[in-house]
Amino acid sequence: MTPDILIPLLAATVQSGTPILFATLGAIFCEKSGVLNLGVEGIMAVGALAAFSVSFATGSIWLGFLAGGLAGVLTGGIHGLVCLGFLGNQVVSGLALTILGVGVANYLGTPLIGLTAPGFVPVDVPLLSKLPFVGPVFFQHDPLVYISYLVPIGMWFFFRNTRAGLRLRSAGENPDAALAAGINSSNYRWIGVLCGGFFMGLGGAYLSLAYTHMWANHLTAGRGWIAVALVIFAFWNPLRAVAGAYLFGGVMAFQFRLQASGTHIPSSFLLMLPYVLTVSVLVFSSWKGGSSATPQALGVNIEPAD
Amino acid sequence: MRKVLVLLVLSLLIAGVSVQAAEKKMKVGFVYVSPVGDAGWSYAHDVARQAIEALPNVEVKYLEAVNEGADSERVFLNMARKKYDLVFGTSFGYMDPMLKTAKKFPNTVFMHCSGYKSSENMGNYFGRMYQARYLSGMVAGSMTKSNVLGYVAAFPIPEVIRGINAFTLGVQAVNPDAEVRVVWTKTWYDPAKEKEGAKSLLDVGADVIAQHQDSPGPQEAAQERGVYSIGYNTDMSQFAPKAHLVAPVWNWTPYYMEVFNSVKDGTWKTGSTWNGLAEGVVDLSPMGDMVPADVKTTVLARRDEIKKGDYVVFTGPVKDQAGTVRIADGTVPADGELLGMDWFVKGVIGTTE
Amino acid sequence: MFDLTIRKRQETLGWTTVLIYSGAVVLSLLFSAAMLLFQGNSPVEGLSLLLEGAFGSTYAIEDCLIKAIPIYLCSLGVAIAFRLQIWNIGAEGQFALGAIGATWVAISFPGLPSWVMIPSMMVSAFIFGGLWGVIPAILKLKMKANEIIVTLMLNYIAILILDYLVYGPWKSPDSFGFPMTQEFSAGAIIGKIGESNLNWGILICLLSGLVIYVFFRYTLMGYELKASGENVRAARYARFPYERLVIISMLLSGAFAGWAGFVEASATLNRLQPTIMVGYGYTAIVVAWLARLNPLYIGISSFLLAGLRVGAENLQLELQVPAAFGEIMEGMILLTILAGTFFVNYRFSRRPRP
Repeated sequence: MTPDILIPLLAATVQSGTPILFATLGAIFCEKSGVLNLGVEGIMAVGALAAFSVSFATGSIWLGFLAGGLAGVLTGGIHGLVCLGFLGNQVVSGLALTILGVGVANYLGTPLIGLTAPGFVPVDVPLLSKLPFVGPVFFQHDPLVYISYLVPIGMWFFFRNTRAGLRLRSAGENPDAALAAGINSSNYRWIGVLCGGFFMGLGGAYLSLAYTHMWANHLTAGRGWIAVALVIFAFWNPLRAVAGAYLFGGVMAFQFRLQASGTHIPSSFLLMLPYVLTVSVLVFSSWKGGSSATPQALGVNIEPAD
Repeated sequence: MRKVLVLLVLSLLIAGVSVQAAEKKMKVGFVYVSPVGDAGWSYAHDVARQAIEALPNVEVKYLEAVNEGADSERVFLNMARKKYDLVFGTSFGYMDPMLKTAKKFPNTVFMHCSGYKSSENMGNYFGRMYQARYLSGMVAGSMTKSNVLGYVAAFPIPEVIRGINAFTLGVQAVNPDAEVRVVWTKTWYDPAKEKEGAKSLLDVGADVIAQHQDSPGPQEAAQERGVYSIGYNTDMSQFAPKAHLVAPVWNWTPYYMEVFNSVKDGTWKTGSTWNGLAEGVVDLSPMGDMVPADVKTTVLARRDEIKKGDYVVFTGPVKDQAGTVRIADGTVPADGELLGMDWFVKGVIGTTE
Repeated sequence: MFDLTIRKRQETLGWTTVLIYSGAVVLSLLFSAAMLLFQGNSPVEGLSLLLEGAFGSTYAIEDCLIKAIPIYLCSLGVAIAFRLQIWNIGAEGQFALGAIGATWVAISFPGLPSWVMIPSMMVSAFIFGGLWGVIPAILKLKMKANEIIVTLMLNYIAILILDYLVYGPWKSPDSFGFPMTQEFSAGAIIGKIGESNLNWGILICLLSGLVIYVFFRYTLMGYELKASGENVRAARYARFPYERLVIISMLLSGAFAGWAGFVEASATLNRLQPTIMVGYGYTAIVVAWLARLNPLYIGISSFLLAGLRVGAENLQLELQVPAAFGEIMEGMILLTILAGTFFVNYRFSRRPRP
């Protein structure tokens, strides 16, 4: 594998993994607080539409990006309302949100199909982008990719070293004990759901503002489900989520390049690679003891005190 | 006096009845496999539907995103039960469900796009998109400098393979050393994946990207890299104004009008219709300004030749990837051979699986 | 003066439950009606088109039943796993494998008479689907791998295996290069009941439902399964064979989804092609939950959901509403029912402030 081939492949990996990374980080934030969220796909779809339409209407890509995040907050809020307010089953609420979110996005987005809006373009990071190998791979992308480098670190720090982060985690591990210690777990779960929704929305916004500069029905094409899987793959650790997103995005980019180079392997098998690899790595890591990272109260609603 | 009155009433009645008969509303249904908003395949059919809708005395309805299989059978049955006169089904997978329904409802005319079965009240039709693809290949072949062209393709079905082959033959007509590399995305519509596929081709040196996909994802990839692209379905130049050279496009309106009128007149006959450039079902979009004038002239001249029948795409000798001659020198393959094409011509790098 | 608190209900509500759920559905239909109005359509007309399309004629009811068959079988399977709190998201892939298994028998031995062919296809679908369910079970037990992600990934892999087969070795020479197997011989096709469009697959549904009902109600293993789902630790303490229960429940779960694939391939499509995949596996999860994992309610639930989809199609056709409208309705109904369960499970009570 010459650098000629490797560098564009790795650069494509980073770009391909970025929307999934945002979404996975959002899902991690949500689930760390104890709220299982299978609605990532729906939230991403709404985020993508919101981002594109705001960029189209205002001409501002950053407003668009922010709008995507806010749309994610609102949509995530529905999940929060149903699960935290009405104590509904989290699995089904997430599924329902996926159906609703994708439906709403397709419904409202139809007039925007075929239109173009301003989007993010690659911007080289001064100095760093000139570094051999590392430069073109990591530092010649659009600004949102650079943001995606910082978010996992910030999240990791938040969960590990801040009081708010610890309290949020306790809401996900043992909300009753937390309550006894005077922490309002329910409020922290709301923070988890809403902030999580924000990042999921950003993941969708990336798709319509940076990865492509368009909106179309089913733009998200199942990436939300990949994020759901990658949360587990990452053992709910934001740093490991980076590895998962890049692994998945990378293998997907890799199999295309394998096809382009003229291989005779049937494309069905090549397209299986990302999924097979994700499962294999997960199984291996779980076997080695990583699976105890599951937030213990994940998926379990906080029952009202008797 | 009474006689006059009776005659008057009678003639009024007859006039009324014949006016009713003349004004019978035609009910036409369209069934699409993807949302109209895909800006691609279904959208192109919908443009023709709107033309029919604008006609007087006709009720036109459509259903989009109808899955092939059980769902589509139900849709066709419902339309037939509601006494639709004419139903268009615009996806290959609708073939068997349409056929089954056609048997049960002989008074409705069914038109199936891109299939191969027909019956007394079901006809099939398609467009010789490969002719337009050949021309687009000529444009692409003239503009490439690296002699590597990339083709982002959805599924390895005959129409896609045929299109790739025609494109490649067009490229080779102006540039015998060029090669066409193919990647399969296994999706008709996923802008991000299609763009990724295009990028992978760009990374192996392609400087013109063509596609058999419904979204403009590959066009964007080409524009971002500063290279050229060939669109599909509709003119995609608004997505990639600097890259988009030309696009082979569909124009179903004339043919659909013809079918509609023949059903209305009662002159419709079943059959397999495969119209092409000559009938206007397929065409080239306007070529971009970056295409030199002499290339434009050459391509348009060839287009006229195809329209008149003076030049036939796929005239032999044509070899496959292994070098075997598949179409003998001077012969033109029968339609059946083209419809089932499952091999690549020499010069295509890729698998058909 | 008084604080309003929430308490879990001690009593079950019976008919009031139905009332609350109906109220939820009505609420979401009102929301959909508002959307219709916003578009310039008459909400009354819209809703009546919905009902008429779903239940307004024998054809409609037939269509609902036909559509409900694969949903029912997948849901039944999903419910078995969910009872044990094994989150099987893989019904879609198990459906695909079942279809593959049945197809393999049909195209390998086309001459067989139907009384040999159909049962053989059923056995094959059971094994293939069951296998796809057992793999995540074993990975869960031996490697502690989370079943949500494994089953989800296996869905994608299964669909790609199906693609490979129909684009490659199983592609019919008569299909003009299109990805489909040859048409099944008459012996491999599940027939229609009399003059209607409904096929005998509904019998498989009835029998499976009955068997599962008996299993959970009257057998020891069924009891162990239910109990283990409710409290794994207590079950282990009581020496219930948890590992064996996981394997069996996922085997059955995958097998029933596999049967759904078999029915679709045999009765509906009469061949195998990629468009057999329409998402029944995911729909099944929703249906199973709505029906509280009970085989009888799953029947009602799948019928009603099929009705919603068939009715929405009629609405789209007559009022030219976009396809996404049906999805919005479905999502809204689910969310309102979820919210409604709150009122079923909890009640407000007044407590004097201390």
